Amino acid sequence: MATAANTARPVGLAEPLSLGRRILALIPGLLLLTAVGYAGKFIEQSIALYTKSHHITFPNIEYVLWAIVIGLLIANTLGVPRVFQAGVATYEFWLKAGIVLLGSRFLLGDIWRLGGISLLLVAVALTLSLTFMHVLGRSFKLKPKLTSLLAVGSSICGVSAIIAAKPAIDADDEDASYAIAAILALGALSLFTFPLIGHSLHLSDKAYGLWAGLAVDNTAEATAAGALYSDAAGKVAVLAKTTRNALIGFIVLGYAIYWASRGQAQAVGNKAEFLWRKFPKFVLGFLLISLLATVGFFTKGQLTSIANLSRWAFLLTFAGVGLRTNFRELGKQGWRPFAVGAIGEIFIAILTLGLVYGADRFLHL
Amino acid sequence: MSEPTAPRRSVSLDVYAVVLALALALLVRFNLIPAVKW
Repeated sequence: MATAANTARPVGLAEPLSLGRRILALIPGLLLLTAVGYAGKFIEQSIALYTKSHHITFPNIEYVLWAIVIGLLIANTLGVPRVFQAGVATYEFWLKAGIVLLGSRFLLGDIWRLGGISLLLVAVALTLSLTFMHVLGRSFKLKPKLTSLLAVGSSICGVSAIIAAKPAIDADDEDASYAIAAILALGALSLFTFPLIGHSLHLSDKAYGLWAGLAVDNTAEATAAGALYSDAAGKVAVLAKTTRNALIGFIVLGYAIYWASRGQAQAVGNKAEFLWRKFPKFVLGFLLISLLATVGFFTKGQLTSIANLSRWAFLLTFAGVGLRTNFRELGKQGWRPFAVGAIGEIFIAILTLGLVYGADRFLHL
Repeated sequence: MSEPTAPRRSVSLDVYAVVLALALALLVRFNLIPAVKW
């Protein structure tokens, strides 16, 4: 995940802005996120109302898809003017806040069980996918560090893993932008392909959610891919993806040690401090809210309100996913990193689908 | 080779998101905001 903080400052302004002006600069983009997200919700509700009142059988198309499609249309036709960009970049912030709030919908026991299964599957998928990506990178003659970034991005946590790994392995800006572009483009494609595959294979909500959480790289896209299938699948996708995110520090540390041993990156001093720095802190917030829900800190009605707050936060996120995806810009990055990413993603998607099938059969999701 | 500031920024973002989410959850818990509808 790209950080909103990285991009929240309006492009082209060298002077740091005061806090008040930075907050003001976010408002146009926030309004755009709200408008696009709410338009998605409005379209879903309008279609549902119309088809119901006219007794028409029509599949429910979730607001998630509408919000993403409207965002994509704006980003790829009109473009997103600079005045909106800082606010639009906050979609990552809303994603993280939404995930923390979603913790209220999990009992700690569920997290322990499903998170444990996810962890097991992540470990298997990770080992195989990292190996595969490196073989693939070598075959396509990509630079080794670009291959490392693509491997980290596709096996762990998309853009945030690439951002975390880049300084640790001292990779070039150009390599990082190639890897990020490839991961974002493939994430956008997964939004349209994963639900179709899931439905054609008649996957259960849990199995599909687990698959989306394990195979889709970027947290925003994984959340959206899950929610496109069903509410329950979205919940499981977030949990599986959060488990993957929690491992980011270990993988980045592994790569940092590897590249340092080859004299091509700075040696890692305090490893525990390194792990803590790379650990996504929102995972702790998610666990804390879940703990509070488990001990009965909230009433049933309050839990519903918190879950709804989470959905509102995700609504802004999904609008942002569409608005920040510019296919023309992504296409400029060259075909080879994209090809390696795409082949790797297909491999990971098939691998994780097999793992989920196995887990469903033997561990009874 | 040095560690730039990007990781620290992402930590801040995470922390802000957690603080906002917890604050909202507490507002709901102590009925300081009306029930949130979807």
